[in-house]
Amino acid sequence: MSHWSSPAAVAVADPLWRALAVLRVILLLNTAGVSAYHADSYERPGAVAVALGVMALWTAVATWAYAAPRRRTPPLLVGDLALALALLAATPWVKGPDFAISLPSFWVAGALCAWAIHWQWLGGLVSGVLLAATDITLRSRIDQSDYGNAFLLVIGGTIIGFMCGSLRRMAVERDAALHRAAVEAERTRLARAVHDGVLQVLALVQRRGTALGGEGAELGRLAGEQERQLRALIREQDTVETSDPTSRAASSPARQTVDLASALTRLQSATVTVSTPGFPVELPAAVADELLAAVRACLDNVRVHVGEDAPAWVLLQAFPDRVEVGVRDDGPGIPAGRLDEAAAQGRLGVVASIRGRVDDLGGTAELSTGSFGTEWELVVPRAALESGA
Amino acid sequence: MTDSDALRVMVVDDHPLWRDAVERDLTEAGLDVVAVAADGREALARFPAARPQVVVLDLQIPAPDGVQVTAEMVAHDPGVRVLILSASGEQADVLAAVKAGATGYLVKSASREELLSAVRRVAGGDPVFTPGLAGLVLGEFQRAASAPEPEPAGSALTERETEVLKMVAKGLSYRQIAERLYISHRTVQNHVQNTLRKLQMHNRVELTRYAIEHGLDAD
Repeated sequence: MSHWSSPAAVAVADPLWRALAVLRVILLLNTAGVSAYHADSYERPGAVAVALGVMALWTAVATWAYAAPRRRTPPLLVGDLALALALLAATPWVKGPDFAISLPSFWVAGALCAWAIHWQWLGGLVSGVLLAATDITLRSRIDQSDYGNAFLLVIGGTIIGFMCGSLRRMAVERDAALHRAAVEAERTRLARAVHDGVLQVLALVQRRGTALGGEGAELGRLAGEQERQLRALIREQDTVETSDPTSRAASSPARQTVDLASALTRLQSATVTVSTPGFPVELPAAVADELLAAVRACLDNVRVHVGEDAPAWVLLQAFPDRVEVGVRDDGPGIPAGRLDEAAAQGRLGVVASIRGRVDDLGGTAELSTGSFGTEWELVVPRAALESGA
Repeated sequence: MTDSDALRVMVVDDHPLWRDAVERDLTEAGLDVVAVAADGREALARFPAARPQVVVLDLQIPAPDGVQVTAEMVAHDPGVRVLILSASGEQADVLAAVKAGATGYLVKSASREELLSAVRRVAGGDPVFTPGLAGLVLGEFQRAASAPEPEPAGSALTERETEVLKMVAKGLSYRQIAERLYISHRTVQNHVQNTLRKLQMHNRVELTRYAIEHGLDAD
């Protein structure tokens, strides 16, 4: 409970103290009204008037004293409760031994609430017990409502104290969470600036190196490789930040989803260009893995049939009812009849494997070829994705 | 301005090394670098007097950022062409800049020839797309198509425009697209231009809708 003095705890306590100041005035008016109504039955009406004056004075002093956090000290709180107890104890002398309503009446709740706000449930309990015990011991006989009032003092004080404690704890926790979020945001901002600087230099090395040729070109190629990797990493990080952690945690491993857009982006290399929408494309993990494997098979095919350094392009499109992945190369294409020939000889391994994977997902895999190169069009309906996997 | 005048270009980049490299490449190629700036404030201050035809703009510059600079430059002079040259290629930023009125995007690792060709093409009113940018733009239209609000009339892509954009995203050159679709090079350019125009229109409609919903249209 050492964090009571933290700014957040003080900030949440301030309105409570202000509310208590208003409550004290209401309680004072109530006590004054009740006293005036029964004025003719008192043994020492003059003393009642003096007591009311003391209560009014203390209400003003307490309102001023509790207004500043630095004045909310144990002596003030002890004095507050001691005065309430003293006035309570003076009741038989002022009103006579058979009094029904105590001298300060409900005004003692002011001190009770002060203890509850400052010392939480324990403060509420201790002050409640002291007030209730004093009230009960002074009475010559105890009826049902006296017991009820005493019980309410103890229970009410404890509950108010407990709630004040919870409020403070939540405020402190919220404050800490906000602080963490701010630190995290600042770290991300700094990382972004650093990444940008690194990317700038890598891009420059790549550009100049390529222009220099020879060993410079080799350096440029390496810089380009690193640039792409760092960019894919940043992209991945962004996706992690934007996806909702609660929904992720709530889903069981079997239903876990994968962002196909960032998964495909990881395939980006010196020869492979990957284009995706600007938003995550969440698919069940099993489906995303299959599609990814199919795309890898397409890219392997490009390396084998067109060349190790042949460029290839991957395009992901996400529609409400389906996802489409296109893989294209710039190669000479497949000569007409070649596929049929291969199929006849039972040598359609890769093509069959790509088709098979997509078929299993309830989708279609179309192969088109021509002067523009070779292009795979993989289409998987979303309906199958929801029920499948 | 007469035809014999060289293309007027402004370069905005906060990295001096880069700014100088780009400036040198452009000058050597016979282009007229009329102004340079290191941040958004400087860029907007020098822009009106320099009156460039093309602005080569880095997105990650000290405030105001590249997206804001693009929007203000285009608002000030609708004829200016903005070519985004970005190192980090943060997707959302690139898309925002294109929506704000930029007509081209190039990663910084692009070669000198690619840069010069991009500047010339952008100056001629030809949008410069990378496959990555085409994928992002396609994504925007897919998102708009599945949104609950009805799309404003004439803002959806035609089938042909979608087809052309898909081919750009798959790395085909305009020439290859023209051959494959049996249309002229000019027609391909028109389709790409329309795509960009519709994306920017989308952006304006979205902004207007936002303004009306939030009561910002009172004045």
